[in-house]
Parts: sequence; C-alpha cells; structure tokens
Amino acid sequence: MSSRFVYVTYIRTTPAKLWDALTKPEFTRQWWHGMHHESDWQVGSTWRMMFPEDLVHHGQKVNGRVCDTGEILAIEPPTRLVLKWRNEFRADLKAEGYTRCTFEIVAHGEVAELKVTHEIDLDHSKFIEGASNAWPEVLSNLKSLLETGKPLNIDVAHQQPVEVGERARVA
Amino acid sequence: MSSRFVYVTYIRTTPAKLWEALTKPEFTRQYWYGLHQESDWQVGSSWRLIFPDGRVGDTGEVLEIEAEKRLVIKWRNEFMPEAKAEGFTRCTFEITAHGDVTELRVVHEIDLDRSKMIETVSNGWPKVLSELKSFLETGKPLNLETGYRSKVGEPARV
Repeated sequence: MSSRFVYVTYIRTTPAKLWDALTKPEFTRQWWHGMHHESDWQVGSTWRMMFPEDLVHHGQKVNGRVCDTGEILAIEPPTRLVLKWRNEFRADLKAEGYTRCTFEIVAHGEVAELKVTHEIDLDHSKFIEGASNAWPEVLSNLKSLLETGKPLNIDVAHQQPVEVGERARVA
Repeated sequence: MSSRFVYVTYIRTTPAKLWEALTKPEFTRQYWYGLHQESDWQVGSSWRLIFPDGRVGDTGEVLEIEAEKRLVIKWRNEFMPEAKAEGFTRCTFEITAHGDVTELRVVHEIDLDRSKMIETVSNGWPKVLSELKSFLETGKPLNLETGYRSKVGEPARV
C-alpha cells in the first residue's frame, strides 16, 4: 500500500554547493521554475514551497501563493533532508495528505550523487504520479545549472507561465 | 509479473546529436566507461555491447529503430550468470525535442518479477545517463567509472 518515485542523478559539483542549490531561495528559483522553499531549516520547522512572485495562473497573478506545505522531518547538511510534504493547490492531491520526500547526497570524488525519493503510504497516488513527471525535469535543470552555470530552457515549462500549476494538474 | 526501470533526462542538445551519442561507438565510448555498441542498426540486426577490452557485455537484437526518435533493443546480459539466466529484457529509448532541449526517456523492462537484471540496470542507467548529459552539455563526462565497476562487478574478471 504505497507509491514511490526514486530518481538518482550525478552532478559535477560538491555536496556543499548542491546543498545550497537545494535550500537557498536565490539558487532554487533558478532551476525550479522560479519556485523557492520557505523554511528556517530546523527539525520540526514548517516548510513551504512558494510559487514565483510573478506567476500568472488562469489570467491572475498569484503573488506569494503557496504550492506545497509541510515540515522538516530530518536535516543534516550537506547530506540528508527529509520533508513532510503536502500539495496545497489541487484539491485531489491535497486530499491524499502528506507525502515524504527524502534528499540524499553522497560525494564520489569530484562528483556528487543526489537521490530523491518521494513517497506516500497510498496506492496509485496521483501526487506521486505528478511528482514522477516533474522531478526528472527539475533535476535535469539543477544538474545543468550546477555544471554549466545555466538551467535548461525547456519549452514546455517556459512558453506558458501557467505551467507550474497546469503541469501538476495534467500530471 | 514484470520489472521495469524508467528514467527521463532533459539535455541541452539536439535529437541528432543525442542519437549520435547513443549509437556511434566513437561517442558512446566517451561517456559509457569505454563501452560501445556494435550493430548495423537495422531492424532484426544483431546488437552487442562491447567492453573496452573487446569482451561482450550484452547481446541482443534491434527490434525497432527510427533515427533520432526511437530505438528498441532486445537485450540480454552475458557476464552475470544470474542476469543472463533471466533471458532477454527490452530496452526502449525515446527522444523528444523541446526547443533547444531534448528529452530522453529510457525504459528497461522484462516480463519477470524482481528481476536481477533490472535491479542492476536501475543502478547503472542513472550513472550512464548522467555521464551522457554532462558529456553533451559540457564536453566531458563525469568519470564515475570506479564507482560503477565496484557496484556492477568487474567485467574483466567474469
């Protein structure tokens, strides 16, 4: 009785830089479609994923709109982060309740391995299905940003500013 | 009754360059730990994955091929007895252009529960495809070879 998505990527970077890219808003915005986390990164602290300030969704600006909410379950910079994570903008996803997302970082010489596991104790979770489509693209951006200095400019994401919301709706 | 590994990566490159990197030995060797594929890339042709020292890692057949878009390979491991005993897997590469970015989707599967081969490739593909993305975007691979060998097993000894 569970749904689970696992993705591993290897990035030419250090665990410290990867940790910064994952947790600092000014970095996260560059590879996560303008989104950023809001948290003080302590165990038990609240965590929120915020839509970009300039996002237009169905013709309306959604300044400061909250995409997902949760809590820091475990944090060990720069090797491990576990988030309790619930979607907030789609009723059917929100109804599934909290998922758990684990980021694990392992150094291999000049390369850092990042493993993302996103799971929920629920069969056929729509949230995990959506996350399974979103993570490969977002993590491809992250790898490109860290290795080349610029994220990918993926058409499907950038031609339509509503994509962050729509993407999850479709997926 | 099946095992399946799916991996999607987005690469700043063209479908043509990605196709070359996937199928031409001189490119493949650069990011796939010196390995290369041997085939004349026609439907029904034999396909082999060759280690740098010439030994055969995997064998199979080209099931479908549509240059720059789709490649399906019938694929059996030849150097891990447990994996070889499972018989043929199927590996599908799908390429989709999104502007200046190309999406590569790799699906490796077999009609068998808890396949050892699929477990092994689930560890191997993220490394090889991370190497491929780095190779195409930065001109050099990651050189994860040591870690790869330690996990998959040293092919030279088998």
